[in-house]
Amino acid sequence: MSVIPPILTLVLAGGRSDALHALGRVRTASALPYGGKYRVIDFTLSNCMHSGLTQIGILTQYAPLSLHSHIGIGRAWDMDRREGGLRLLQPYVRQRETNWYRGTADALVQNWNVIQDAQARHILVLSGDLIYKMDYGDLIRHHEEKNAALTIVTAPAPATERQRYGYVTVEAGDRVGTLQEKPERPGGGTVSAAIYVFRARELMARLQRPDLGPDIVRDVIQAMIRDGERVFAYPVRGYWRDIGTIDSYYESTMDLVQPVPPLNLYDPDWLIYTPAEDRSPAVLGAGADVTMSLISHGARVEGTVRNSVLFSGVHVGRGAVVENSIVMQDTRIHSGAHVRSAIVDKNVVIGAGAQLGDGSGAPNVEFPRDLGAGLCVVGKGSEIPEGARVGRNTLIEIGVKAADFPGTEIPAGAVLRPRVWTGT
Amino acid sequence: MSFVSYAMILAGGLGSRLCLLSEKRAKPAVPFGGKYRIIDFTLSNCVNSGIFDIGILTQYRPLSLRDHIGIGRPWDLDRKRGGVELLQPFQAWDETDWYRGTADAVLQNWHRVTEREAEHVLVLSGDHVYRMDYRPMIEAHLTRGADATVGVTEVPREQANQFGVVETDDEGWIRGFLEKPANPPSGRISMGIYVFRTAALLAALKAESGRDSAHDFGKNILPAMVEQGRVLAFSEKRYWQDIGTLDSYYQANLDLVRPDPPFPLEDPHWPIYTPSSEYPPARIGMRGRVQSTIVNEGTIVNGTVIRSVLFPGAVVEEGAQVRDSIIMDGCWIGRGAQLDRVILDKRVHVGRGARVGYGEDFRPNRDCPEHLSSGITIIGKETRIREGVAIGRNCRVAPDLVEEDFPGVEMPSGEVLEREAPAER
Repeated sequence: MSVIPPILTLVLAGGRSDALHALGRVRTASALPYGGKYRVIDFTLSNCMHSGLTQIGILTQYAPLSLHSHIGIGRAWDMDRREGGLRLLQPYVRQRETNWYRGTADALVQNWNVIQDAQARHILVLSGDLIYKMDYGDLIRHHEEKNAALTIVTAPAPATERQRYGYVTVEAGDRVGTLQEKPERPGGGTVSAAIYVFRARELMARLQRPDLGPDIVRDVIQAMIRDGERVFAYPVRGYWRDIGTIDSYYESTMDLVQPVPPLNLYDPDWLIYTPAEDRSPAVLGAGADVTMSLISHGARVEGTVRNSVLFSGVHVGRGAVVENSIVMQDTRIHSGAHVRSAIVDKNVVIGAGAQLGDGSGAPNVEFPRDLGAGLCVVGKGSEIPEGARVGRNTLIEIGVKAADFPGTEIPAGAVLRPRVWTGT
Repeated sequence: MSFVSYAMILAGGLGSRLCLLSEKRAKPAVPFGGKYRIIDFTLSNCVNSGIFDIGILTQYRPLSLRDHIGIGRPWDLDRKRGGVELLQPFQAWDETDWYRGTADAVLQNWHRVTEREAEHVLVLSGDHVYRMDYRPMIEAHLTRGADATVGVTEVPREQANQFGVVETDDEGWIRGFLEKPANPPSGRISMGIYVFRTAALLAALKAESGRDSAHDFGKNILPAMVEQGRVLAFSEKRYWQDIGTLDSYYQANLDLVRPDPPFPLEDPHWPIYTPSSEYPPARIGMRGRVQSTIVNEGTIVNGTVIRSVLFPGAVVEEGAQVRDSIIMDGCWIGRGAQLDRVILDKRVHVGRGARVGYGEDFRPNRDCPEHLSSGITIIGKETRIREGVAIGRNCRVAPDLVEEDFPGVEMPSGEVLEREAPAER
């Protein structure tokens, strides 16, 4: 554990991720199940724990219930403390001027009392929807050595979905020259990792400006750079992924089932913690054929599973095949069903002999940008009827029942919605 | 209905027939079924039956059990009222001693019963594997006005000599109670699960507190109470397994991986609780082949594992083969190693190419032929088995050995390997 000065950590976990479609409607991206037993935010919280940070606020707004019940009192991360610990900061009604968080900077302004009471020397602003391991102690030491007003963690620019990131130019002595958010023509090799340390004094001064806009990047960070404050870059070491889209979420999960995964979950010195579930051990049956996969407790496999991640309580029946897929909690895949290149949310039932992810790769008719790489997404609690054939790039919305299927053949790129809205 | 709210779990016994497994831990703390300890079943039965006030009577090597139970959080037993406490013998002002038997253990902790003003108490064993709702039994006990009610199950008659055999009349009252009889009249046996009317139990405990008593529930208390005539039998038909011997331990574990297990661990209506490990999910590698096997979090398998139970953090390297074995937490099985009918205690390290449980020679163990004769080889905690060594069947290898402690490349069946001068700890 590193020794660090008084730090307030604020985790931004309130965003709505439209690009995640059915996966992101019932929960904010930070609460997205990841890696067989985790939620995405577990990485950030475990990093905090390993870095010795104990004063943490989590700013939530969009669909926070799943996140709130996951975090609870923070016990899984040893954050249930007499002093400090973890608090969930949801927008609330005030006597004057009540509003939702209008943006990330506004969320901080609305929690001014938390910031003020903390009397921190530095304020770490993190995003709950990133997958990475990082010792924030090293970052804060670098920040202090540079006597920085702000340190922006940077990552090498990803090769895909390049327009989603903020591009940073770094000058001599690690000084940040420019930060350009989500440019139409992305250029440059370095992006902002959405991990920031502010010297509290400078951040608080910005937040108190009467003309402050709602966005932390545009209205605080870019303004600080523009005004010539001491803004420095600090490169992330190792694996760092933003999982805000279906493809990026899928790819990051599939990284875990590579022969040598670029992200090691098994490092005893930097385990990722998550609230325990009381499940029985996984059982791989007499007919099981499982290779290159992660299997969680309570799973029961009688069929074939390859290059896939099965969450807890998933059942795979006799003769069923699951390939290159992510299958979330308690989903049942009945005998003889085939699931290929799919992301299947919780509590889905895939009927016997159903085929998912079959045939050609025509992109999704409604969301060609988000569902064009061949993946099928099946929303929480849906049912795929026995013998149905569902093509690639299809989106089966939350709560679609067998009766909602127009027939047994669903062509590639289709979107299926429930006829009766289920309230999720 | 007046209800029974206090349970005492007997968890102090030596469990010598479990060989190495209980050498450094009490029997209820022996790991079972991939992630549990044996006591988890009784504790989970209690909380699932609505009993949240529990005393665990410990005596023999309680540390492992104490670590496991802690403040009882996994069972929701960290409570303001009630909860779980470990009752270890202690020194008091007047005459005190170790527990002389199960009955004496309860009597020495009688203040716990008095404080609660409980009219009835439940007395349970910590070394059985079963699921049971105690409420119907308690209800029968109360409505029939029994002094004691005994949970009763059926075993094959030839095995009944290991247990207390009961004889009942037409109305279910127990008329005879024979503890471990040489020639059992039937297979109806006591499961070691009792509900007592507090006053009747206290009278029996006091009557049996003399020097000539064995201070044992099965040997003394129950037979004496049966004489008085108001002991009821309560039949339980579901799976119940006493983990008394290494063979029964092995069989009960291997039963879990049968195609239709008699005791499935998964039951959302009656979960078995235990402290969770903090490992990532199990990872089956490119060359992994895992069939009819229980796997747990943190296990990494690149070899072949058939009909086995893998505890959290067990690693099976490429080319290794594990069959019909129980591999406890944190074991490492090196490349090309072969294991057949083996029990590895925690954190055993099997060197590359080693063979454990090999050959066709099934001669019983020379030290303890009565416990180690069915072909199981057992390796003690944290031992490091030398690369390439071949260990036969019915062998016993002590804990904490290192590669140099293995004298040769072969250890024939039935052999025992100890450290040169066994250190008493």
